[in-house]
Amino acid sequence: MFFKLAFRNIIAARKRSSVTLFLTSITTALLVFSSAWMDGSHFTMIQNAVEIYPGYIQITEKDFRANPSYDHLIFDASFIETKLAGNDAIANYAARFESFVLFSADEKAVGGMLAGIEPVREKHLSRLFSSLQEGEYLDGDDTNQLYIGSELAKRLQLEVGDEVAFIGNGADYSFAADNLIVKGVFQTGLFDFDASSAFVYKGYFDKIMAAENRATHFIVLPKKPGQAEQLAAAIAADLGGQYQSASWNQTMAALVKAMKLDSFFGYITLGIIFIVIFFVIMIYTLLAVFSRIHEIGILRAIGTTPQQILTQLVLESSMLAFISVVIGGLLGGILAYYFSIYPIVFSGMEEQFKQYGLAASEMPTAFMPLTILRDMTVMFVLSVLSTLYPIFMVNRFKPIEAIHHV
Amino acid sequence: MNTFLTIKHIGKTFQPDKEVEVVALRDINLDIERGAFVVLSGPSGSGKTTLLNIIGGLDDATAGEVILDGKLLTGLSEVELSGIRRDHIGFVFQAYNLIPVLTVKENIEYIMKLQGRSQQECDVRCLEVTQKLDIDMLLGKLPNQLSGGQQQRVAVARAVAATPKLILADEPTANLDSKTAESLMNLMQRLNEEEGVTIIFSSHDPLVIAKAKHSIILKDGKVIADERTG
Repeated sequence: MFFKLAFRNIIAARKRSSVTLFLTSITTALLVFSSAWMDGSHFTMIQNAVEIYPGYIQITEKDFRANPSYDHLIFDASFIETKLAGNDAIANYAARFESFVLFSADEKAVGGMLAGIEPVREKHLSRLFSSLQEGEYLDGDDTNQLYIGSELAKRLQLEVGDEVAFIGNGADYSFAADNLIVKGVFQTGLFDFDASSAFVYKGYFDKIMAAENRATHFIVLPKKPGQAEQLAAAIAADLGGQYQSASWNQTMAALVKAMKLDSFFGYITLGIIFIVIFFVIMIYTLLAVFSRIHEIGILRAIGTTPQQILTQLVLESSMLAFISVVIGGLLGGILAYYFSIYPIVFSGMEEQFKQYGLAASEMPTAFMPLTILRDMTVMFVLSVLSTLYPIFMVNRFKPIEAIHHV
Repeated sequence: MNTFLTIKHIGKTFQPDKEVEVVALRDINLDIERGAFVVLSGPSGSGKTTLLNIIGGLDDATAGEVILDGKLLTGLSEVELSGIRRDHIGFVFQAYNLIPVLTVKENIEYIMKLQGRSQQECDVRCLEVTQKLDIDMLLGKLPNQLSGGQQQRVAVARAVAATPKLILADEPTANLDSKTAESLMNLMQRLNEEEGVTIIFSSHDPLVIAKAKHSIILKDGKVIADERTG
């Protein structure tokens, strides 16, 4: 009976119901979209930060991260390789050897990172291949061919085909030097990385740097990137105490902290929005309920208890809130889905984005049904809660006061 | 005398603001018999509506007691009073006060549903009452599709259908033309006799007052006459 009465009241008060529906739907849609936007920017940050070069999981010698010297190299890379090859949860992996050298071309000399990589595997593990700007990417049979960051090439005034010398320390602390030919230039969009990094085929690197069967680290791509943390722990257990296996959460602690801070402020903003919405709906409900005091007085007079009035009005607000959050959720969800496929492009904002670790001007939203459902639930609860105070207020009237209320 | 309703030393003072006091009822004492057909009359502002509201538990008295069928109503909680209104008292208002979004049938069934009666019981009782009041052809209509007289009959049907012991009707004929008013009073009189329900109504219409078996006249919040004719 109360359900029928609630439904009929909603239909009868079309204008009032439409305003409530509109307000709550739009707010739900905004909430769903802003959550998708916030999550999307975080995912983009993670993807950029993780996938451009560092990888989801890094395996190093146990003290290498605290003290990154040649004394803490992986001295038996084939052991690690055998272990990783037998792990079904791993999609791909590769060894790297990073070394810091001095590059010299004509009259320019610049310090930077020269790393030996496995070009074929690396295609699946980082964005080095897809960041090719000029020339060619590395091959598995290259020798002294160099794949260099665009900003570093610019500082050394190098173009594809040019020669550059390097000087550095071999893995055995011996003196290592050679002439390299620029085979390709890459641009990831991360300025610091592009200004300091260059790569050669690891087979060549191992020979010139006395680094056979050695590596500074391995990077691992899990089959399920969302489970990087668990896989890192499983790998650590498998390799034993001599090695450390760390997920991106640990290797990029600063980024994680920045994201948490960003989320914190994001949720504070959402919280303020929630409070505003809460009071807007409450004030609107207060006006709507007060305009019906006479009707409520009649119901009370003929025997409806305050509890039953509460039930009926909460049913009304719940029905409206449910329809509103479904409409708002669908609207926000469609927007979140659309912009996850066709990201919003912020032309000319690349420089600002770089400060946040974003190497692109595109910002896709994150379409996550469970998050949408969470936001819809929050809005539903908030809408219903905000109607409780006006209903309690109205229930405090004596029936005769309510009947005579103007 | 089989006393059904006892009103003892009822007083009511309104205080619209701290400095002004309006005395609406002064030391009212009444005994109403079971099955009586009672009219409260008197000029406007004499306290008729206030007394009906206090009897029905819609308003609190400033002083005194109301005892309905042996039960003291004074001091009961709002939930307890709601239960008494639902199960024992039917109201008929001057402005009909039907629930606008419910059909005639749903309006009449509303209190019975609150009482927890089954749909079958509601259907049977609804048909019985609406046939008596000659409104059984209006069951599917909404209140705004009815005339004033029809709406008041529906209001009476709603009050009667829940089989209350007491019906309180505040100026039930005030908004009706004299012919419709007389017809409604005849119906209420019949219900009083057939259903044995005690009816107390307020009116200042001499034709309506003439139908009552027990007449109480109020003036300035005091009972100035209390006469039984039947």
